[in-house]
Amino acid sequence: MNRVLLARLIDLVLVLFGVSIIVFLMIRLIPGDAVAIMLGANTEITPERMAELNRRVGLDRPIIDQYLLWAGSALRGDFGTSLWTGRPVATEILIHLWPTLELTFLSLLLGAVLAVPVGCLMAQMRGNAADVTMRIGAIAGLTIPSFWLGIVMILLLSAWAPSFASLGYVPFSEDPLGNLQRMLLPSIALALPILANLSRLVRSAMLDALGQDYIRTARAKGLPERSVVYKHALRNALIPFLTSVGIMTGYLLGGAIVVEQVFAIPGLGRLILGAIAERNYPLIQATILVVTAGFVIVNFLVDLLYILVDPRVRA
Amino acid sequence: MFRSALRSTVSAGIMVAAMATASAQVLEIGADSGPTGLDPHLITAFPSFMVVNGNIYEGLTAIDKDLKVIPSLAESWTVSEDGKTYTFKLRSGVTFHDGSPMEAADVVASVKRLLSKDIASPLASRLSAVESANAIDAQTVELKLKEASAALLSSLATIAIVPRSMEANKDALQKAPVGTGPFKFQEWQPNGYILLTKNEAYWEKGLPKLSGLKFNIVPESATRQVGLTNGQYALLPNIDAATALQLKGKPNVKLAETMDLAYTLIGMNVSKPPFDNPKVREAVNYAINREEIVEAALFGAGVPGGPLSPALKSWALDVKEFGCYAHDPAKAQALLKEAGVATPVSVTLKVLPRQDIKDIAQIVQEQMNKAGFKVELINQEQGQFIQDWRNSNFDMFASLNAGQPDPDEYFYRTFRTGGSTNVYKYSDAEIDGLLDKARSQTDQAQRKAAYDAVQKKLACTGPVAHLTYGTLFSAMNDKLKGYDVMPNRSLMMLRSASY
Repeated sequence: MNRVLLARLIDLVLVLFGVSIIVFLMIRLIPGDAVAIMLGANTEITPERMAELNRRVGLDRPIIDQYLLWAGSALRGDFGTSLWTGRPVATEILIHLWPTLELTFLSLLLGAVLAVPVGCLMAQMRGNAADVTMRIGAIAGLTIPSFWLGIVMILLLSAWAPSFASLGYVPFSEDPLGNLQRMLLPSIALALPILANLSRLVRSAMLDALGQDYIRTARAKGLPERSVVYKHALRNALIPFLTSVGIMTGYLLGGAIVVEQVFAIPGLGRLILGAIAERNYPLIQATILVVTAGFVIVNFLVDLLYILVDPRVRA
Repeated sequence: MFRSALRSTVSAGIMVAAMATASAQVLEIGADSGPTGLDPHLITAFPSFMVVNGNIYEGLTAIDKDLKVIPSLAESWTVSEDGKTYTFKLRSGVTFHDGSPMEAADVVASVKRLLSKDIASPLASRLSAVESANAIDAQTVELKLKEASAALLSSLATIAIVPRSMEANKDALQKAPVGTGPFKFQEWQPNGYILLTKNEAYWEKGLPKLSGLKFNIVPESATRQVGLTNGQYALLPNIDAATALQLKGKPNVKLAETMDLAYTLIGMNVSKPPFDNPKVREAVNYAINREEIVEAALFGAGVPGGPLSPALKSWALDVKEFGCYAHDPAKAQALLKEAGVATPVSVTLKVLPRQDIKDIAQIVQEQMNKAGFKVELINQEQGQFIQDWRNSNFDMFASLNAGQPDPDEYFYRTFRTGGSTNVYKYSDAEIDGLLDKARSQTDQAQRKAAYDAVQKKLACTGPVAHLTYGTLFSAMNDKLKGYDVMPNRSLMMLRSASY
């Protein structure tokens, strides 16, 4: 167990180091200059002033110096300050992390938790009308783009319940009810494709499991059907499900750019998008590291869950 | 334990609800993007300008709805005979949001800050004529110029006065601005909102009427529209025709409109063939059908325009004065033949990533292809576009530029040989002479005569084919009173608005 932990920790460090270098080089390869973009098109400015602005934010140094300087302070826990606002990057990320964490939690809660019973139901009703209907629903859920779904939901809600404030974000600590109210629609928009995806996965894994010999044995023993399905078959069907949930969690933690744009939620997706658009190098760098670390950690947790679910992995 | 936590949560909820009613007069604004910073000497982009200009900060002068210069922090001023010395009498009883009085020393510090190398303000060129700023007494400031500058008073409207303590401070104002305006900075949640509250000590008695402004940053246009119709937002400032038309006639929504100072344009690189030949540039103008662009891309909400916006009533020439504005593909072909270039003339057109500009670029491509050109469109990412623009790395580009209230502010830097935004590499001795003359004149009639000549020459053979001036809209809840949209996109009228 300790060895697993240690190996994972080393993975994390290596991945973060690799990613930091790749991101550092990649964002500087994108054409477009941070100073020029901040100034915008058609600003009256001389080349000398541009050079002074570059110096002001430290972009006049050689690229290797810039990396070493950055990596040095990052190792000491200082991720620097945002290029133009001078706010600490760590604060900036923290502010945007909360909405993303909440959105991830709520959409997984809606999507993944519902997917298990729905998938089992589909497997049990295999081939009949209810199964076909649910499968068509699942395909629809997978193919409807979330931005479209989001806008349609906003429009419908504003027609039916005009006083229901559904846009923007208020922290849970300030106004719990208003927070949940605003998070409802975006969570649904994100949860629907998750639900569709996972319920199909659970369905096929269950069908697979239900065809196994031990299920026949369980039935022959005279176990009630519910126990056969939920205790014997489901547990074996859960492994691919957990893998998928892990990957989805990783993606969700990276920010849901489209849904954040539509519902005006200040999450990590918009932070990264804005940072890239303005070539805010320190901010891009740190945000992507945080997202990467999130991905690796979630994968690690999923590995731990495997052990819980499947005793064979323990050996 | 759990129950007490629940109880305190509920009571906190009630308190929040009570606070919400008390501050019901905070105007909820739906803005499409957030500022990159709030230091008035460092920002140039609209999203920052909109928050800061006239709300948090004020200049010595201001620009009113009709684009006239009016007094602001300066109560009055006198100009010396040679136009090189300006003496400003400051308004008394003005304080900054931190409580310190606004005096001549602050004005001098602000000018010095703007011109300093450490601050590296991109606005410095607006004060390039200033030689020195001196405080005569606490309420009097004197600006000495190297040469007369007719646009100075208009430029000063965009130069915010900051406290003297900020003269050498590079970072503080980006995060927490301190001005003299009717609203003071309260809170900034990046990608969320910016909240300004009423400045109780504002110098103009009875203003502002609103208890605050909240700029909600809502990137998606459809979301902003729903927010306005369901009452969550009370104002969508400076929106385009397409959005305005969708909101027209919705219950509780009213529209205000004005002629935009900003213009759409096709820029041409005159440092290389084929646009080094004035006849080819003239052919472009004949090839373009501006009425069609207004109809198809601006939904009829705009007008064909020349080098100056029709909003500048005392300067702009009627487009009828420009012969090449008559749509005539045959004439364009004939000019290309005269120019001796091989037709079809193959050129690329780089496009600013905005929907209206993409639409316009496609129409221009179609029109030019019918008149002896072969235009290839290149859609670019914003950063890439700006870089190519600054490096003069283009044949042609399609873009939208902000206009200025005084012709000198646009023409001199754009068309003068070596001007700071003369990315076209245009150089014409006659234009240079006229621009120099108009800049040093203070006599309105003589300036007008010079700029008339400039407009006539630039319209047909200049490096820019000016296309259209759109109608600029603001959509608002019909309970919002006293606010109007301004051609320069300033939101300074919010000080007298009520809701």
